[in-house]
Amino acid sequence: MEDAKRQEFRAALHQTKNLPTLPGIVAKLTKMADDPDTTTEQMGKVISQDYILAAKLLKLVNSAFYGFPQRISSISSAIILLGFNVVKSLIISASIFEVMEDQDVELWQHSLGCAVVCNVIASRLGVKDPEEVSTAGLIHDIGKVAIKMELPNEYEMINRLVRERKMSMRAAELEVLGLDHAEAGGWLAKGWNLPKKLIEPVSCHHDPRQASAEQLNSSIIHFSDIMIRGLGYGHASDNKVPMLSKRAWDLLNFSPTDIDEILEQVEEKLWDVKGFSLEIKAEDTAQATG
Amino acid sequence: MARILMAGTHILERPESRISLEAKGYQLINCTSIKTAVGLFLEDPPDLLVVEKGFGGTGDMDLIRVASGCLQKTNIPILMILSREEMCGGLDWRTLPVDDLIERPVAPEELLIRIQLAEARMNRVFDNNPLSKLPGNTSILNAIQNALTSPKPMAVCYVDIDNFKPYNDHYGFSQGDEVILMVARVIVNVIDQAARQHSFIGHVGGDDYVFIVPEDKVVEICDKILANFETVRNLFIEPDDVRRGGFVEKDRQGRETRFGLLSISIAVVPTGHGKFQHSGQVAAVASQMKHKVKALDGNNYLIDQREGYSPD
Repeated sequence: MEDAKRQEFRAALHQTKNLPTLPGIVAKLTKMADDPDTTTEQMGKVISQDYILAAKLLKLVNSAFYGFPQRISSISSAIILLGFNVVKSLIISASIFEVMEDQDVELWQHSLGCAVVCNVIASRLGVKDPEEVSTAGLIHDIGKVAIKMELPNEYEMINRLVRERKMSMRAAELEVLGLDHAEAGGWLAKGWNLPKKLIEPVSCHHDPRQASAEQLNSSIIHFSDIMIRGLGYGHASDNKVPMLSKRAWDLLNFSPTDIDEILEQVEEKLWDVKGFSLEIKAEDTAQATG
Repeated sequence: MARILMAGTHILERPESRISLEAKGYQLINCTSIKTAVGLFLEDPPDLLVVEKGFGGTGDMDLIRVASGCLQKTNIPILMILSREEMCGGLDWRTLPVDDLIERPVAPEELLIRIQLAEARMNRVFDNNPLSKLPGNTSILNAIQNALTSPKPMAVCYVDIDNFKPYNDHYGFSQGDEVILMVARVIVNVIDQAARQHSFIGHVGGDDYVFIVPEDKVVEICDKILANFETVRNLFIEPDDVRRGGFVEKDRQGRETRFGLLSISIAVVPTGHGKFQHSGQVAAVASQMKHKVKALDGNNYLIDQREGYSPD
């Protein structure tokens, strides 16, 4: 894509206010918000399983209006600072996918799964704030939704390439747009005033070498993305496992035993979120047919 | 100039309404969908809200709740438009926190004059802190006085941030302001969830706050405030300082000194059972308690356990 077009897309991303999310999530949260016994933490837990709402929450708390520009990098802190009423308003104002596609649910699941792996690895490596890493993992593919919403025609072309020429989504993006969803996601995160600690892992999740301050966190997201795809949990637009970066692999320095243990912990945690995603899928089907 | 959000489909049905308001310099934002209106409150709240009753089904109530709970701007005046029949039917003001009513169909001259009145009234009663938007000293004294005579036993709590002055010198005042705002938000959101009904939160100034909550909730609330502060705090401190457990800055005498990380101290004075006659006595006990709690390391709160008031 020529420079003018890149600029145009960048400007469109800057204007992006409302990325849609799954009707099932919004329905569940609306129900929770109406129940006087629901706590902020309970709603936070559900929001931290949805990459779109999580990103919007971070956008709000880091906006100049709320007074903490580029500072808040974890969902739980965002919720403490915004409070129940704002979280509720966020849900009222949330838009949902007008036309639900299977892809939307699959990408949601992939994002959630990636966050789970990130958390296991970050805790294992003794990273100071594991929640920050899983937050970055949760929103790493946000650029895909932004492309879908802002460039619907190009998005169609990308999907055609993936289907017909069996390309990876990223290769198709690069061919059609001259940029990939990681870069687009980074732009979006930057335009939304998110902290650098989140922007880099999003924009460098396919090539951690490009990260400067956040080499380790970017490598964790990179590896978690690959692992969750390998496990076949959720689906991220194509059925290819991305190439592993040598730099990331060296930095993480895992032995085969490490990997075995990580897999075991991940499987266990995925089991916990599985019930939840079945519930959301059921709600979505009910909404679509009802 | 003031930005007014008009939520509804009939508010500006007469073109003169728009003309006369814009002639006075008001900026009008017309919203006909409830979702957009709520979104706007989150992104870029207006200074005043005019909402039509029954707009978007029960959406008008959602919008009013959002407006009255808006954190960035407190006291946004809310004007509601409704029919004479709806007025005569009676309205429950406890669940409808609006400031004024306008009868349907809206007369342009009335709309203008009501909006001007709402603006004037808001400016009159404003003693809020410009940073946190929380009520200031006049309101705090009134609230303490009310707590002393309340049939429900209350607790007056004084909060301050330990090591705030050196933090401010070390990190700069703009980040210091962020911390002041952060602590205000932590307090407001905890109380909002645990005891919104009977509580009060004020900002004395700088890093000093006062909140008043029912005595039976005070332990739960203090625990939660300290825990939430602990979760958020490190985002406001450089990772290196977090690792070292503090930072080096000059003390009041200009000597290089090691200070610990930021923490919070809360001095709690229960005021139930007619223990105190006036707010000055509460302040005297609070200052003793503050002295004790500040002497402890880290995040702490202390509750005054004495039966009566003893000024020593």
